[in-house]
Order: sequence, then C-alpha cells, then structure tokens
Amino acid sequence: MPPRTCALCNDARAILKRPKTGQQICKECFFYVFETEVHNTITEARLFKPGDRVAIGASGGKDSTVLAHVMKTLNERYKYGLELFLLSIDEGITGYRDDSLETVKRNQQQYDMPLKILSYDELYGWTMDAIVAQIGKKNNCTFCGVFRRQALDRGAAILNVDHIVTGHNADDIAETVLMNIMRGDIARLGRCTSICTQGEDTIKRSKPFKYAYEKEIVMYAYFKKLDYFSTECIYSPDAYRGHARAFLKDLEAARPSAIIDIIHSGEAFEIKEDVKATQKIQQTCRRCGYMSSNELCKACTLLEGLERGMATAAVTDRARKRLDADGPAPENLRTIPMFQLPSAPRQKPTTTAVEGTT
Amino acid sequence: MSCGNPTTEPDALMQRRKKYDKTKNCVKCKDTQGNIVIRHAVYCKNCFIPLLVHKFRRTLEPSVNPKPDGPRRTALKPAGNLLVGLSGGLGSSVLLDLIYKCYIALDKSTMPAEGGRDHPRHERVWKKVTVCYVEVCDAFPGMKDRTEEIARFVSRYDELDFVPLRIQDAFDRTWWEKTGRKASFSDMGVSLSDESLLIESLSAGHPDPLTALRTYLSSLPTPTAIHTSIQILTRVLLLHTALQTSSSHLLLGTSLTSLAVSLISGVAQGAGFNVREETMEEWTPDPETRPTPDVVLDDVKDGADKGKKQLKRTVRVVRPLRDIGMKECAAWAWWSHIPIVGKEKWVWPGAKPGIGTLTKDFILGLEQDYPSTVSTIVRTCGKLAPKGEVSGKCILCGRPAQRGVQEWKARISIRSQPPPPPADPTDGSAPPVPVVPESKSDTRPSLTPYLCYPCHTTLTSRSARPVPSPWPNAAQASVVALPVWTEARLGAGAGGEPSPADEEIMVAKKMGQAEMKGIVNEFLLDD
Ligand SMILES: [Zn+2]
Ligand SMILES: [Zn+2]
Ligand SMILES: [Zn+2]
Ligand SMILES: [Zn+2]
Repeated sequence: MPPRTCALCNDARAILKRPKTGQQICKECFFYVFETEVHNTITEARLFKPGDRVAIGASGGKDSTVLAHVMKTLNERYKYGLELFLLSIDEGITGYRDDSLETVKRNQQQYDMPLKILSYDELYGWTMDAIVAQIGKKNNCTFCGVFRRQALDRGAAILNVDHIVTGHNADDIAETVLMNIMRGDIARLGRCTSICTQGEDTIKRSKPFKYAYEKEIVMYAYFKKLDYFSTECIYSPDAYRGHARAFLKDLEAARPSAIIDIIHSGEAFEIKEDVKATQKIQQTCRRCGYMSSNELCKACTLLEGLERGMATAAVTDRARKRLDADGPAPENLRTIPMFQLPSAPRQKPTTTAVEGTT
Repeated sequence: MSCGNPTTEPDALMQRRKKYDKTKNCVKCKDTQGNIVIRHAVYCKNCFIPLLVHKFRRTLEPSVNPKPDGPRRTALKPAGNLLVGLSGGLGSSVLLDLIYKCYIALDKSTMPAEGGRDHPRHERVWKKVTVCYVEVCDAFPGMKDRTEEIARFVSRYDELDFVPLRIQDAFDRTWWEKTGRKASFSDMGVSLSDESLLIESLSAGHPDPLTALRTYLSSLPTPTAIHTSIQILTRVLLLHTALQTSSSHLLLGTSLTSLAVSLISGVAQGAGFNVREETMEEWTPDPETRPTPDVVLDDVKDGADKGKKQLKRTVRVVRPLRDIGMKECAAWAWWSHIPIVGKEKWVWPGAKPGIGTLTKDFILGLEQDYPSTVSTIVRTCGKLAPKGEVSGKCILCGRPAQRGVQEWKARISIRSQPPPPPADPTDGSAPPVPVVPESKSDTRPSLTPYLCYPCHTTLTSRSARPVPSPWPNAAQASVVALPVWTEARLGAGAGGEPSPADEEIMVAKKMGQAEMKGIVNEFLLDD
C-alpha cells in the first residue's frame, strides 16, 4: 500500500490514526489538533483571565504530565497571561509515589514552574500506608479520594492560587457519567460533566482535558517524549468502578466516538427542577471549615474514625451512628487545620511553602 | 488519574446483598411458601398475580386520559384507539396478555377490588385495539420469518385487529400512501460514504423497498448503527400505524430491565437529550406529512368526536411494564401459559456486537451481583430533563433535536485542518477564542442540519476497523434511498407546491442562519 497522506494537511505522510476520529494524520497535525481542542475547551468555557494564578494538580502520571506541557504551550502560544504552578499530593504509599514525585520535580525544572508537595502525613497525621495498616485493604479508596480532594484545595490555598486544573480526561468523565447513573448519584451526575466546578467556598477547579481521549494523551506523551510514571494504585480499587471502566472500553472498541457521545449525553440533560429542590444544601464543616453536606465533612469523619480506632465508621451511615453512640469525640482528638480560601486582596504566598524553582 | 479512583466516596460502594431477606414465606400472606423473589422480597403465586396487575395498571392508567389527572376518580376516556407493538419477545407478549385480560376480556382476576361494581374501571376502555408486528427478517441473511407464528399468537385473543408489517415498508412509497399521506417524492437520497451527508438525487431512480433497505443498512458505518437504525425504523413504522388506526396510544412491552438497557445504550450513543422519550413520549406527525383531512374524517366515524380528533393528532407512547422486571414478566408468562414466539438475534457473519448488545450483556451481568442496578438506572434517569433548546424534530427518528450540536462537534473533534495560531496573539486586550476549521462555505444541501445528535452519530461515526456488512453483495450505491418519512419531509421542502410544509423546512434553514448570527453577534460592533 502506498504511504497515506495526512487527512488534515494533505501534505505530510500520515503516521497515526487518531483514536478519537479514526482519521489518519501526521505527527505535527496531531499535536496541533490535540492542543487546539484543549484550547477550544478552555476558551469556550472562558476558564481563565489574564493574571490568574493556576495550579496544575500534578501526580507524575500521564494525564498531569501532559497537562503541564500543554498548559505551558497554550499559555505561551495564545498569551493567556497565566502564572502556572505545580501542586502534588503525597499520599504516603511506599513505592507508589516516590518515583512519580521525581517526575514532578523534573517538570518543575523543565517548565520552570514553582512546585508545592503536600503530604497526607503533614495534613492529616496519617499516611495511606498507616491507614491501610489499620483498616485493611477494603474501603481505603474512600479515604484516599476524600483526603486527596481536600488536600488539593488546601495546597492551592497555601500557593494562594485562584484555580486548580486537573488531568481528568474524557474517559474518566464518561466513566463517571455511567457510574453516577448506575448508582443513582443524581447530585454528582448533575455536575460531573461541567468543565469547571466552584462552590461558594472552594477553589475553582477545572478539567481542560475533559474532551481529550486517554489514548491520545498517551500518544501525545509518546511523540513528545515526555516521561511519566504509570501509576496504578497498589490498593485494590472499587470493583464496581472496575466494571464500569471495562464496559466503557468495550463501548469504545465498538465505536470510538462512544466516549465523547457519553459526555455529550451528560451535557444534554440536567436534574429536574423539583428534584434539585430536595438536594442537600452545602454548609461548612464545624471542625475544619471545609465545605460539607453534613455538620462534619467526610475527611473529618474519616479522620475521627481513624483516631478512635473505629476506622470503618465513616464509610456507612450505620457505622457513623455506632461512632456517635460510643460517645463524643475526645478533647485532644487530632484534627485538620482550619481551611481558609486565598483571600483578596491577594498576598504574596509564603515563600517557605513553595519549593523555589532553581 | 493516579489512583484510578479519585471520586470514590462511601455511597459509591454498592453493597452486594443476598438474594432474599430472612424468610422463605410470602411477604404478603405470610403463610404460603414463596414462589418468586422480587428484589429481596418473596411472594407466592397467588399474591404475585394481583401485584403485577397492580403495577401494570398503576403505570398505564394515569396516562390514558388526554389530560393526566392525579389520583383518578373519573372514567378512563382515551382520545382514540389503541395500538400495541408486538415483537414476539417476552415483554410485548406479556403486555398483550395483560391488555387483553384487563381491558378487553375484563377478566375478574385482574379487576381492582376497590371501587365496587359500578367502578368505571370495570368497562371497556379502548373501542378498537390493534396489534402491529414489524417483521425484520429481511434485514439479515438467513433469518426466519415469524409473521405466521405471530399471527397465530395474536389469534389466541379475540377482538384484536392485526397489522403485520415488514421492516422494508419504511422504504415503501405504496405503504406510505396507504397510510393516507400525500406523496411528493423527489427521488433524493443521501451519500453515506462521507461525513458531509450530502443530499443527492438517486441516479437509478427509487429502488424497490427491499433493495433500498439492504443498501441503506450495508452503507451504515457500524453494527451499532445497523441495530439502532432498525429500532428507529420499527418505532416510526409503529407510530405511523398508530396514526393510521386513529390510535391515541401506542403501548410497548419495554420491561424495567429493557428500559434500563435502552437508557444506558442511548446515553452511550449520545442521546442524553432524549432520555425522557425513552420512558414516555408524545409524538405528532410532521405537518407536511399529516394525512389529508378527509382521510382522517373517513377514518374516524364516531360522530361527536369527529372534529376533536381531527385536531388531536398526537400519539402517546407508553411502556406500561416499565416497573416490572424481566424475571417477573417470565413468571407471568409461565403461570399464564403464554406461548412466547421469541425473537431472532440480529446477527450476520463476522458481525461484532454493537453498543446495544454490549449494554444488554453488561446490565444483565451486573444485575446478577447488584440486583437493584436496573431500578436505580430507571429511577435516576427519571429525575433528568433535557437541557438547552430544541431545534425542531429529527428528520430520521422524529424526536426533538438539541440546538447547536454541530458546532459542539466541530469544537471538540477537529476534522479538517484548522487555521494556524495567530502570529501575534492579542495579549490580553481581547480574550482568546476557539480555533475551528472554517466551514468551506459549502452550499450543497446536506442531511446534517435536520438530524439529532444520535442520528448524526449513527450515520457518520466509524469503527476503528472495517465492518462486514450483512449484505456484502448488495449493490454498493453511492447515494442511498432514505426512509419514506424522511424523503417526504425533504420532498416537501425541496421545491414543490407551496404548503405549510414548506414553511417548516424553511424555518429549519433559517434557524441555521440565526444560529450563526448568534455566534458572531458578540464580535459585531454596534452601529
Ligand atoms: Zn498533517
Ligand atoms: Zn472537616
Ligand atoms: Zn402470598
Ligand atoms: Zn434522530
């Protein structure tokens, strides 16, 4: 077969088939359309304004490594005028984070972006290893998920940034749409496809890769020779989510547009007005000041359970009642420091909190 | 993301549960040993039968009267006749049995106990009940024709009219004319060989219906598209048959299980905007393809209502088994000795399963371990409403289409060479804007603006690998014929005598213009 020419420029030799569209295109065109689609996602949603301080949630995995590269590229190409930072969370899982944090540290130098690493140990007094040692391997993803979400916000507050961008890609979002329908989580279903989420008292958070296929992110890293760590969590993930992911892969194999079609579906419906009215209102946690749908936020509940040696407590409502029945929280209970949003007018971030770029 | 599980929270963990709670005795009468487990509760046969009838009536009856009226005290007075869609499968066979027992035979065992002898429920509801079966065997090689068996099955019940159709009727102009529509066809088809879906004339004239069907199916890009297209053709054939039989209601035998499957499968094909229609749908024919008034008057001969019915040309699609799982349907069929004819699998040599099949396998598998999955899916989708504006009805499937989907697609998957980035970006003086390839001011008519998102995806979205066609030897036509209702709408719009029909098509075109204006508007300076 003669070499095919690129379906986009009709000039260079096509060297890849785009997972998203099936088109055979050249390397340069791939870079350009991939970046341009992210640019379109950003501009269509008016995510940033000049002068914004933006933290990239960096794990050293493929998504955030490519995100850091693309954000830097677009910021320069289109003069967004953003100040970019890297923000990493160290869960304290031996052998899982060590290498990938090295990747992040290298990015810090390559891209000349300040980096902040915040550890669970520092914030909660518990590493994931210590949590697993107490509760076993069941349910620990609950802890990790809840703790990470707060840790990112708290790290962002330390960096005094306006905005966190995360590497959630189209596959993640499509999978979440399916999961939320199947488990009846109407509140999350309503917001999981929005590119940007911001509660009244949380830091703005968005997903510039929401339409980027996981396969293309990998392809981009491959052709750009970006190195990253494939970080599979060593603790067993939720079986139900595993089913959903496998199903999504089957759908993608049957018709590659399925991922984008699911996201389109998620954007084409909303929660009925009368259902919305019955949703829980957000409040702030009375112990740590973080947003919460109950008196205590999930992280504080989980932490209290850990501290009192009743770790499974916060996982179900019934267990939470057992914890309450066991008496009030002791006075000397270790708690999470009070959460505060970066305040306006903006102050210079405390330089000690940020590892300077050298 | 890193952990592969970033949003997991306590409520995300689905608990596996044992099959039934505590006792083996019926939860209702307490003293009989149970025969069936429905979502953890055990029932005996004698308690199960009225329970199922109750669920059936509870779902159907609130939507019988033209205006739904809360807890109903008045009689059931539908605006027209009844059409039942029968596929030969479990759900629709059980549905037909229930309709017959509850509303035609007025079987004592199915009558609600409350209300006394004069209760309005104890009378015939629909004056005429028609059963329609669409035979799809000609769509696939070597498939058995079950029309005879279905006819025998229907004849078990007296007082039913039977209308057997074939799937290729969707391409049959004589069928279309028989349903009382005026025909202004223009021999136009669509080119399915590339994404622009250009409308072109059929060079060899209009093919016979069977050839048209097979060429159409063979030109579709994926097995998913073939399955989905057959489902759409079947549904629209049923809707037009409902119109033809002056039916105000079309009932389908979608069970809770199959509804959950079709909801997820729809979401996976981009049909989130039509989640509502999967459960309940009000359909009106396109103005230009409505039967001419004298046909309607001819058809409906019951004096006083004549005028009213002529105005009321809406078909309400109801799925009265949507609260009843597949297992419950099977138990009803078993205890009622219903001889289920069955359905053939839609397969052909080399075919890979499509999205519908994958979804069905996935949901049925999941239900084994998490028995509440199907009801959760249906309940969740019941809380959703379409978001954004409607831009008319899709010319293919007849459902409401969401506005702006083509612009959405163009931004998110760039398919032609975009312009290079500006050499000197605006540097903060104006916000950066999306970069999309300029549309090549293509003025050739295309089907695209008339399609909803899922139908456009059905016609254009390709598999990673080539897909074997069910009819590899079918004539490969560059332009394929369209279903008659699509062709009729195009025909009405593309020239022909001026009629209200023209207006509708013209409106659709103008909307495209208005939309463009909307997009550029904020960049236009005030004068
Ligand atoms: Zn190229
Ligand atoms: Zn808290
Ligand atoms: Zn009983
Ligand atoms: Zn459609």
